[in-house]
Amino acid sequence: MKKSTLIILSLLLCLVGLSFAQEMTDVGTPRSETLIFQTFDRQTANPDQFNPLLSSYAVWRGFRELGWGTLWETDTGTGETVPELADGLPEVLNDEHTEFRFKLKQGVYWSDGVEFTADDIIYTLDTYFSGTDCLNWFGIAVITGYVESYSKVDDYTIEVKTQKPAFDFTATMGTPNWGPRLNIVPKHVFEQQENLCEFRNPNPATLGPYTIKEFDPNGFWQLWELRDDWQRSSWANLDSDGYMPKYVLYKDFGPEETRSLSFVQNQYDVDTFMSPDSIKAAQARNNNITTFSPDMPYHNMDDACSYGILMNMQRAPLDRVEVRWALALALDLKMVGVNSLSGEFLSSPLPLADTQIKHPVYVEPLLGWLNDFTLADGYKPFDANFTQDLANVLKQTGAKNIPEDPSAFGIGWWKYDPEQAGKLLESVGFTKNNDGKWLLPSGELWTLEFVIPGDWNKVMQRVGFSIADSWRNAGIEVNARQVDNAEFTVVQNTNAQRTTELNWTNCFFTNNYLSGAWSTIKTEYINPVDSNETNAGNQYQWSNEKVDELVTRAAGIDVTSEEFYEIGREVLKEFVNDMAYINLMGIPTTIPTNEYYFTGFPKADNYYAVPYSWWSSAKAIVANIKPTGN
Amino acid sequence: MNLIQYILTRVGAYFVILFIGITVTFFLPRLMPSDPIEGYINQIQTQAGQTMDPEAITKLRQSLRELYGLEGSLASQYVNYLKKVLLKFDFGPSLSGFPKPVSEYILQALPWTAGLLGISIVFSWLIGNLIGLLAGFFHNTRWATVLEVVGVVLYPIPYYILALVLILLFAYVWPLFPLSTTIRPGPISLEKIRMIIYNSFLPALTLVLAGFGWNVLGMKALSFANKEEGYVKFARLKGVPPRTVMFQYVAKNSFLPQITALALSIGGIFNGALLTEILFSYPGLGLRMRTAVGNGDFNMLYGTVTISIIAVATAALIIDLLYPLFDPRIRYQ
Repeated sequence: MKKSTLIILSLLLCLVGLSFAQEMTDVGTPRSETLIFQTFDRQTANPDQFNPLLSSYAVWRGFRELGWGTLWETDTGTGETVPELADGLPEVLNDEHTEFRFKLKQGVYWSDGVEFTADDIIYTLDTYFSGTDCLNWFGIAVITGYVESYSKVDDYTIEVKTQKPAFDFTATMGTPNWGPRLNIVPKHVFEQQENLCEFRNPNPATLGPYTIKEFDPNGFWQLWELRDDWQRSSWANLDSDGYMPKYVLYKDFGPEETRSLSFVQNQYDVDTFMSPDSIKAAQARNNNITTFSPDMPYHNMDDACSYGILMNMQRAPLDRVEVRWALALALDLKMVGVNSLSGEFLSSPLPLADTQIKHPVYVEPLLGWLNDFTLADGYKPFDANFTQDLANVLKQTGAKNIPEDPSAFGIGWWKYDPEQAGKLLESVGFTKNNDGKWLLPSGELWTLEFVIPGDWNKVMQRVGFSIADSWRNAGIEVNARQVDNAEFTVVQNTNAQRTTELNWTNCFFTNNYLSGAWSTIKTEYINPVDSNETNAGNQYQWSNEKVDELVTRAAGIDVTSEEFYEIGREVLKEFVNDMAYINLMGIPTTIPTNEYYFTGFPKADNYYAVPYSWWSSAKAIVANIKPTGN
Repeated sequence: MNLIQYILTRVGAYFVILFIGITVTFFLPRLMPSDPIEGYINQIQTQAGQTMDPEAITKLRQSLRELYGLEGSLASQYVNYLKKVLLKFDFGPSLSGFPKPVSEYILQALPWTAGLLGISIVFSWLIGNLIGLLAGFFHNTRWATVLEVVGVVLYPIPYYILALVLILLFAYVWPLFPLSTTIRPGPISLEKIRMIIYNSFLPALTLVLAGFGWNVLGMKALSFANKEEGYVKFARLKGVPPRTVMFQYVAKNSFLPQITALALSIGGIFNGALLTEILFSYPGLGLRMRTAVGNGDFNMLYGTVTISIIAVATAALIIDLLYPLFDPRIRYQ
């Protein structure tokens, strides 16, 4: 045999070997039976900490989705509450709405074969109320501040009394947003531990359909395996076709530069927060990679939160509503979106994410009001043509897949009008110097500190720099400061550190705005302007008497009533009146999927859930996907 | 100065450096704008959707201060810190991984970083210096010029770019190596060793090539200069074989500054190869340090930085103490 033939044969053998190798995952499971998510938190510090009563447990590794069970869950496709471990919705026992009775499903078992009963919930609540300081899961503080008393009626029935009238019982005792507060633990395991604070819960008994098979002690991945008896687990009912992937792997595939290459190589199925540019590059090399929607803006995935600008409204000159409005009108969101996101965003002038669930309740009814809304000087700031203009700009830039209906980009935004912004600033004593820069009423140069995420959130980082450019173009001197994530949260919640910050806030997924940040908008939670203590509530640090009264009133009525929604709309109007938060857009959360091995992921035309891997939606994804046979 | 005085001076300086380094390490993170307690509360406020009761937050703040050992004045914290670090080598619990001790994290990450960087640095140093020596000694030959060009080309390429190019070539275009590290748990076995080598080869190659250029250029310049020294010319005229001249006369003297550089590089291992570990998801100390900065995890920073200071200072001390063996001029001073 010739030498060259030998070499070619050897190379071919190598390639064949490689192709066989690629059918197994790096953790030794068949790739076609392993659904793989990019981890939300990349590397976890506590890969071996599975005790959900401690804040340091490996929460982002599938426990909330695959391992634990919750009484009531949120259907992220509709926003409705659905029972999971509970057998139906709770029965309200008194007119004050403080006493509840609920039943548990029968026939649900922990993965170690012990039946789940009311004893597990009572034990969990007992532990929450035991006053053990070292048990520092944040849900313990929430539940103990919410529940007055509780008792077991029988093995499948529990009664709970709340401290105040509770119209959000299923949310607080179930799942108000990304995760539950009440982490139900197995009594038969936990009661045998001498010290729960040191108990790491190895080989945890789970209520969900999966158990831990293996994990990386260095914290980069965790492998789950389908229980043999998964049909008697907490959410087996979500599955309709009898197919559930045998394995689910959460793994970090590295920074975006290398992760996108792994994605192209079909090494995993669902990404988390990949930038639009990387997605485009990956799609160009692998047509199995798809975005949420085939049309612009590809990544509107109904995230619960929105991007916006937090301001310290107690610190001059931001204590003046005219200045806050000037910042809004000096911000050219159209160009910010085009430059930093290639126009792939959904704008929202109201301080909430404009999602399919919230739009008909809070956005649509306020359209007329927005069109008529005027500032004190009679100026109408709302730009209803914003989205059409955006579509036109995008067409000029050669963007593809622009929808005919510009409402895909939202309802509109505030006008870009530096001239009107200037008038507002002049009305409160600002002047311009010879360089065209705005000076404070004192005559000093106005330097606006603007905190933005560093490269740990590249999408926000780009948006932030683009906003700073926009303000500079309007003559505002801006110090755009990138910070690490630890400092970012400190600036967010500490008055002394905050001037302005690009942030994601207003997080509420359903129409119950009190399940999120609005619940604490009260003057009593405002810290002094230079306080270094974490704000204990009211993240906007916004003082508005009318809103205080509205929020208090809302807390005492049914969260699904028209009256509750009307109060929410009134709060939104006050937000706009005061420009208490410059809302920008829904989070352009970019979660592309690779459909080489699995199909049936949630998409705009198959909207059974939001596409996130770290919410209850992951349960729906796992239950709905199907293997492609590859 | 006699040899004893020389050693005592170096050892004395070593302890002073350690003291200053550990002290600075204690105070520096406290100048960071993030407080670990408030950072933690901020995180859970965010997780809780800003719905935590203000009273619960106050209570949590107090209990965390006690748990994390952050009560008391700065001076008392500093004294406690010195006692713990110097006497027990205890950096306390990781604040982001509470209650796991920092020392456990360090012990877990250290072998990965030390193994990867230790091997890479030594290989890079040996190969680079050998090639540099040959290129300098035979500087008139064509291949010496080629090797020099290779060194000149590699040396200025930023590590990040070089690593990405190698990843593209050897993990994407020709997928011979993995794009990210995956090492399954379990006792050491042949399979596990294969897995470690398979996952570490590409990160190591990037490090070897990144250091290679500097070693080639440095050694070439030194050997080229030394080969023109009088004692080398004399040896050549006396008929000493070229190989002996190269290794015994030129190399011995040219290696001195390179040994210092090697010692300092080995000390630097404990910083971890930050970019390497980030790019390859490699579970080392550098990545821990980076995460600690992001999380405001003071204790983890103390631990990783202190280890680094001790390592660099110890490496410098060892080289100082060994130098008289390599350089007779110091012995005879």
